[in-house]
Amino acid sequence: MTHNMDSKPQVMRETKNKIRVDFERTSLKERMKVKYLSVNFAKNVLWYIFRLLLLIGIAFVILKPFYTIVIRSFMAPADFMDTTVVNVPRGLSAAIYKSIIVDIGYFKTFFLTLALSLGCALLQTLSCALIGYGVAKFKFKGAKLVFLMVVLSLAIPHGTMQSAIFYRFQHLDIFGIFNFLAGGARTGIEGIDAVLSKIHILPDNFVGGISTIKSVIPLFLLSMTGLAFKNGLYVFMLRQFFRGVPDELEESAYLDGANTLRTFVQVILPLSIPMLITVFLFAFCWQWTDDFYIPLFFMADRPALMTYLPQASQNIPASLVSIFKEATAQSPSASYRQAITYACGLMASAPLIVLYLFCQKYLVQGIERSGIVG
Amino acid sequence: MTKEVMAPEAPVKKKKIASLDKRKARAGWLFVLPFVIGLVFIYLPILWEAISFSFFNYTTDNGITTKEFVGFKHYSTALFGDADFAQSLLVGLKEMAFNIPAILIFSLFVAVILNQKMIGRAAFRAIFFLPVIVSTGIMESIMATSYGASGNGMDLGMEESATDKLASTMALEGLLAKIFSSLGVGTGLVTYISSAVSSISGIINRSGVQILIFLASLQSISPAIYESCQIDGATSWETFWKITFPMVSPMILVNAIYTIIDSFTTDTNTVMGIINSTYVSTVEHSQHISAAMGWMYFLVVLVIVGIVAGIFSAYVFYQRRD
Repeated sequence: MTHNMDSKPQVMRETKNKIRVDFERTSLKERMKVKYLSVNFAKNVLWYIFRLLLLIGIAFVILKPFYTIVIRSFMAPADFMDTTVVNVPRGLSAAIYKSIIVDIGYFKTFFLTLALSLGCALLQTLSCALIGYGVAKFKFKGAKLVFLMVVLSLAIPHGTMQSAIFYRFQHLDIFGIFNFLAGGARTGIEGIDAVLSKIHILPDNFVGGISTIKSVIPLFLLSMTGLAFKNGLYVFMLRQFFRGVPDELEESAYLDGANTLRTFVQVILPLSIPMLITVFLFAFCWQWTDDFYIPLFFMADRPALMTYLPQASQNIPASLVSIFKEATAQSPSASYRQAITYACGLMASAPLIVLYLFCQKYLVQGIERSGIVG
Repeated sequence: MTKEVMAPEAPVKKKKIASLDKRKARAGWLFVLPFVIGLVFIYLPILWEAISFSFFNYTTDNGITTKEFVGFKHYSTALFGDADFAQSLLVGLKEMAFNIPAILIFSLFVAVILNQKMIGRAAFRAIFFLPVIVSTGIMESIMATSYGASGNGMDLGMEESATDKLASTMALEGLLAKIFSSLGVGTGLVTYISSAVSSISGIINRSGVQILIFLASLQSISPAIYESCQIDGATSWETFWKITFPMVSPMILVNAIYTIIDSFTTDTNTVMGIINSTYVSTVEHSQHISAAMGWMYFLVVLVIVGIVAGIFSAYVFYQRRD
């Protein structure tokens, strides 16, 4: 053995039942040198700093327009009449927020919207997952056509078909069957028409189809059939995801005796949690802030939903008017109305941020996808 | 002689056993059934109603609406009567050719960064989620008012900051142009990059959905693959191109198509603006002409979507045998 005497273990301290031995090792200085003075470390630090700066920069661009909104919603009433105050307020006040909660009934709005959005979002996630799985994994005649229609439904904005959508749900019918059974069908020939009008299997309000307007039925129907706002995108996303799932997974489930539905629920869905959560988030958010379908279907009814919250500034609560008058001796200015709208917008979107923060915990890497070893 | 006793023939069961393919086809129909029902009973009637609207003239007289078939008259009026329409269609196409690659690259890059472990990741993710909320619905109109000044004395500050912003981006553009021209790069690239910088805030605010989709896709990649890559000594650059990129490629297709459709059909699009303003204009049968414009436009959009899907599909990688 050509061992150096120095590298022999050195007995540092010895007691009755403990012994401490120090081996010769690289000094702390040396170790630090190797660890922190390498190119690799420098590269990592540089990447870390670059990444942080980049994210902060982009976050700044996103948050910048919010600055005005947040500041103005907290500005004291007197500042709205002071021309020297621009975006740095002299006084702060949370009166607008208090008024939104107390006078406008924020919590009622919150829970109603929550129920509606949750229902729609869950239905949309489920139906889109089913449709996406159907077009991704099964070869049947017409699968391509179905998928084409999905893309078509995404490409044509509902805004341009507004009146047709409204008409359809005002006169909801299955090929005129309801109309026929209620005795509303007409052919233009007198003899037949007389017979047709005698049919009264369904009550009179079924003539010309059922009106589902002023209820949540149209929203739920659209959600269930994967035709609601941007559902084509969800189907497309999930279809692409499911196509990437190896077929071996399903085959082994089939061999174990599971049918297609069970395979889908127990094998495929657990793998796709990040995708499903993302779809759910989109569906929930867009239903929550929706200002197209709800005014279209509910018309003048105006249920207490988030959609109508920003319109509070058109009809300012009396308490805010008096607060403003006290401070400035004038009736609320246009910029004050604007500030109320801003506060409403922030109050409407705050729950969504909370929801996202809650959901993003589940958006983590680490779900084993392939399930196949070797 | 022994009589052969014929065993009574077992009754042949007439029960058909469908082949696996057939059963799978049936299951496939079951899965897409909700959509097919919706398509037949809700969507196609709506589509039919909306399309036929552009071929008819409706006249309401004493509450009775009469339809008059006019054929392609509204279409020719839309195409040749309105000089802006055909022109802005071309401008819109040019804009798209620039914006879509920018949005795709940017959102993939941000998604990769947001997928890495770091301090404050949840906060950054929440901030990057804001554009999703702001892009449509009630927040869209609120944000729009926060950008535009309304003539009130109080809003002067905002106008100032807008011009400030313009000045700073212009300065940046000039600087970039100088750097690139001194490097001797072609002017095409210079204009591309400098216009990318000037529209950077637009690109960021339109990438929210795409970032989230990419993020979900990145999280679906098995960590075992990365691990084996690391063991084999691949650098992170190689890992990105050999593993991450192919694995998210299905979502690149989704995002490309979504971005095209989104940028064409938002209300801020020039052509959509023309369609919407025609709808409310005082020209005779303006609503029908607007509908005709819309259908021609969506046909163009669908053709573009088809072309892009065709190109991208060739490069999409699915983790399965075919």
